[in-house]
Amino acid sequence: MTTLRPTLGELTEELRERLATVRRGGSESARRKHTDRGKLLPRERVDRLLDPGSPFLELSPLAAYGMYGRGPEDAYAVPSAGIITGIGLIEGRECVVVANDATVKGGTYYPITVKKHLRAQAVAAENALPCVYLVDSGGAFLPMQDEVFPDREHFGRIFFNQATMSARGIPQIAAVLGSCTAGGAYVPAMSDETVIVKDQGTIFLGGPPLVKAATGEVVSAEDLGGGLVHASKSGVVDHLADDDAHALDIVRSIVATTRDSRGHEAGFEGPAGGSQQFEEPVEDPEGLYDVPVDSRTPYDVRDVIRRIVDGSRLHEFKPLYGDTLVCGFAEIYGRRVGIVANNGILFSESALKGAHFVELCNQRGIPLVFLQNISGFMVGREYENRGIAKDGAKLVTAVSCSVVPKFTVVIGGSYGAGNYGMCGRAYDPRFLWMWPNAKISVMGGEQAASVLATVAGRPDDEGFKAPIREQYETQGNAYYATARLWDDGIIDPLDTRRVLGMALQATAHAPVPAPSYGVFRM
Amino acid sequence: MNTVFIANRGEIAARIARTCERLGIRAVVSTGDYLDTDAQVSQALAAGAQAVHPGYGFLSENAAFARAVMAAGLVWVGPPPEAMAAMARKDKAREIAVAAGVPVVPEYRWSSSERSERVETASFPVLVKAAAGGGGKGMRVVRSAAELDEAKAAAAREAASAFGDDTLLIEKYVERGRHIEVQVFGDTHGNVIHFGTRDCSAQRRHQKVVEEAPAPTLSDEQRALVQDSAVALAKQVGYTNAGTVEFLLDDDTGEAYFLEMNTRLQVEHPVTEEITGLDLVELQLRVAAGEPLGVDQEEVAFTGHAIEVRIYAEDPYAGFLPQAGTATLVAWPAGVRVDHALVSGQVVSTAFDPMLGKVVVHAEDRETARRALVEALDRTGILGITTNTGFLRQLVASEEFRDAAIDTAWLDRNPPQPPDPTEARELAARIWYDAHATTTGPFASDGFRLGGPAADPVVQLDVPVTLGRHALRSPGRPPRTTSRLTRAGIELAHHGQRWVFHRPDPFDRTHAAGAEGTVTSPMPGTVLDVRVAEGDAVEEGQVLGVVEAMKMELALKAPYAGTVTHVGVRAGQQVTLGAELFLVEAVEAATDE
Repeated sequence: MTTLRPTLGELTEELRERLATVRRGGSESARRKHTDRGKLLPRERVDRLLDPGSPFLELSPLAAYGMYGRGPEDAYAVPSAGIITGIGLIEGRECVVVANDATVKGGTYYPITVKKHLRAQAVAAENALPCVYLVDSGGAFLPMQDEVFPDREHFGRIFFNQATMSARGIPQIAAVLGSCTAGGAYVPAMSDETVIVKDQGTIFLGGPPLVKAATGEVVSAEDLGGGLVHASKSGVVDHLADDDAHALDIVRSIVATTRDSRGHEAGFEGPAGGSQQFEEPVEDPEGLYDVPVDSRTPYDVRDVIRRIVDGSRLHEFKPLYGDTLVCGFAEIYGRRVGIVANNGILFSESALKGAHFVELCNQRGIPLVFLQNISGFMVGREYENRGIAKDGAKLVTAVSCSVVPKFTVVIGGSYGAGNYGMCGRAYDPRFLWMWPNAKISVMGGEQAASVLATVAGRPDDEGFKAPIREQYETQGNAYYATARLWDDGIIDPLDTRRVLGMALQATAHAPVPAPSYGVFRM
Repeated sequence: MNTVFIANRGEIAARIARTCERLGIRAVVSTGDYLDTDAQVSQALAAGAQAVHPGYGFLSENAAFARAVMAAGLVWVGPPPEAMAAMARKDKAREIAVAAGVPVVPEYRWSSSERSERVETASFPVLVKAAAGGGGKGMRVVRSAAELDEAKAAAAREAASAFGDDTLLIEKYVERGRHIEVQVFGDTHGNVIHFGTRDCSAQRRHQKVVEEAPAPTLSDEQRALVQDSAVALAKQVGYTNAGTVEFLLDDDTGEAYFLEMNTRLQVEHPVTEEITGLDLVELQLRVAAGEPLGVDQEEVAFTGHAIEVRIYAEDPYAGFLPQAGTATLVAWPAGVRVDHALVSGQVVSTAFDPMLGKVVVHAEDRETARRALVEALDRTGILGITTNTGFLRQLVASEEFRDAAIDTAWLDRNPPQPPDPTEARELAARIWYDAHATTTGPFASDGFRLGGPAADPVVQLDVPVTLGRHALRSPGRPPRTTSRLTRAGIELAHHGQRWVFHRPDPFDRTHAAGAEGTVTSPMPGTVLDVRVAEGDAVEEGQVLGVVEAMKMELALKAPYAGTVTHVGVRAGQQVTLGAELFLVEAVEAATDE
């Protein structure tokens, strides 16, 4: 291949540009219309809601990228899927924030919007983090109602989650900063405590046009379900605010009254907990940009690990055995983690070592970090006959039954069963991020093209194989993946340490059960 | 002399005690009744003191007190009572000054029955006033000879009708004058010398606020004139101990006139001490004990320049209204002289002189001293009560003060303007942020955003303050200022000025008061009383009317200050639950703190 591939640094620059575009939100006219009403833009709302200077671990900012436009030129048709989600500090406490962006199609819910909302709730539920919903949405995107409304993981699940999280004592707080129509009306109604902005927020099951159609009654939006109505008559909301800023202040005040789970529940604040005393990596993180973008170019994954962990120190486990999988203990911002990182293709020994290490971490209550760069398990008669499938299965079993928080970063390829053993999305890592160079598919495009061409009896037909390769190239791209929420976002490799650190802290509050495992095939 | 009783309190008592301590003399400070002569003498005797130092203010210029002290067999640390009495009377003092050859403000009498030729030759402007009068009756400033006759006639008419005596005093009127004074000292051995000049022109309503030594604008001739005159006057009156002879220097003519003599140690004595290197209290004690001064006029050396400011518990931006309260946090500047008796937690009442302390700097020249004083006031922080520190800082930093262009009426012509809060607010936000920021770890308060520029922290004070990148780069480094964080907000001193910034309370009553000031009936019942009419101005919480229901009398109150724009009910009327009874329209409350 002589094609000049972009470097990881260049790919990161492209990521930053794309993120900058989606951060603007909807069209300029939509934004102006929004701000002319005295409303803050959704990202301003988030900034104002969080503690001054609080970092924000945004989830899937590039959701819906390239999905709903009229063509490839229209990749930003629904920026961030019209909803901003993430984790930040409110009154010193990590909270999940879900904020509709009314400048994007009126804040309506596309299928991916629903998925993103549910994903944020899942993060909150898994990690016992309070939820703050900043509601400004017209409800379901009606033209796609079949993909938004009926199924288990569709719109209704939002309220199911609110009820069940509230039952677990996870605070559910809503601020109605704009429309809150139809099903959306249940977001505040299902919340523990709610705020509405007067002369701006509205809540109703059916808006004025629907009411007129149904009963003939003519009523203004404000009289039907405005702030004053709900604060003084219906009781749907608890606090009436003057404006966005006031509403956000009230929300902060509400969060301050909720019980902080820290100190009440046994999470990871114990022996594996964070410490104010930690060292930055000794090795320059900028070196991460030197990681080869072509996953076929080998490099030592320890060069990545050392640029992520405290003091660049790795207590490596079984360094001489199954050396295509690097396992070891390290610390990130003073929190101990077990790192499992690919350093080549998976053999039986690597899988066994990985399974052993995952069990160790569960035994010791140490969270796991998977650095995925895997083209798969070794194939061939010798390996199949020696039972690589059952050794791979041991790793998959160990990872599946693992109870400690798991974090996955796809730093290269994520192919086939390697994805399973290395804690792909299906294995419930608390978070999964990709680097901009990441590729994900059931197998490589070349292999898939060859297999399909062979099955079709046209093994050498380039015309047959090229579109397959192209399809795999498109669908295996990190942006294709992040648009569909196969991950929690594409990150700048340099942010890996920071993002893992925030995630480790955010997951440290929820208790974990004692580990138990399925049958290991011996 | 082994024990001195100090018939005073506060910073001057501390100041005197400091010298006593250095000299190995026990100092006993009065415990009250500062204006009760007998009580003070009794206290002094009970303390076993041999001498009484009156400080300044209170009984310090009370000749009767001096006599009572001496009659009790105690040493009076001050001038002879006769000199005190003589100087206490303006006319007497003027006579003595004239006798001593000291220039006085030219003054002539005129009445319809007797004529003075010299009036016509007086230099203008002059002040024409009733000799018998007071309170400004018949008082006129005349700027030219042409206006004089008419002014005299009018003033005489007014004087005659008001006092039954048309005698007028016509005196030299000084439009722009400087307050110059000379520190004199005499001993019981016939020595009288001076310790140079002071300029106390920065005054507000005759209250000195800044004093300096030596007086910066005097020519050699003027300086010699006032110094020699002061010594001559002191000799004329047989003066001993510390005294101050005050002069008015006419900025337009350069002439100096005797005003009065203060027969005590002055508040501003430290500036003289700084440039002479002498301890005036020590000299006072020595002279009182009958010792000679021990220093000749020629031996008095003047070094550099000293400036003092008086820190008062008063609000310069509200007509210098005296302030009371608890000084929750007090930070005096290190490295400069501070005469004070105020510490953190002290209660300041309006019962006494509101002076809290004096900040004094001394440097090789006036400009260096001025800059050092500005810097010292920047490091002065008094929280809990309002003081004039910020105003003093502003004044000392001004071009006018730098150029020594401030005359005695300048502050009255240029009332202090409150400083702009922007800078202090930003500093407050920064301090608040630093105090609350997480400095380390993955959730450090650096505004981290995924793959994009960090978010600027916004701190909510009375208005939101956006902190720039500089705040993010170095969180945790506290700016050098006096500040105090409370649940409600932050209080800080910036350039000496105290500021209080409240963080918004989302639940205070200024927010969304439901139906825009509609006061509804809380129950079905009978209206007992309607206390307002449409158009009435009401305070927040003011009772608008009373409803009786379920054997309860419920007062209906204004939700906020405003105007009653609608009264929808009469007394005796039956009302339903939620009936709209009153409508109040809010007025924007002026908030300045």
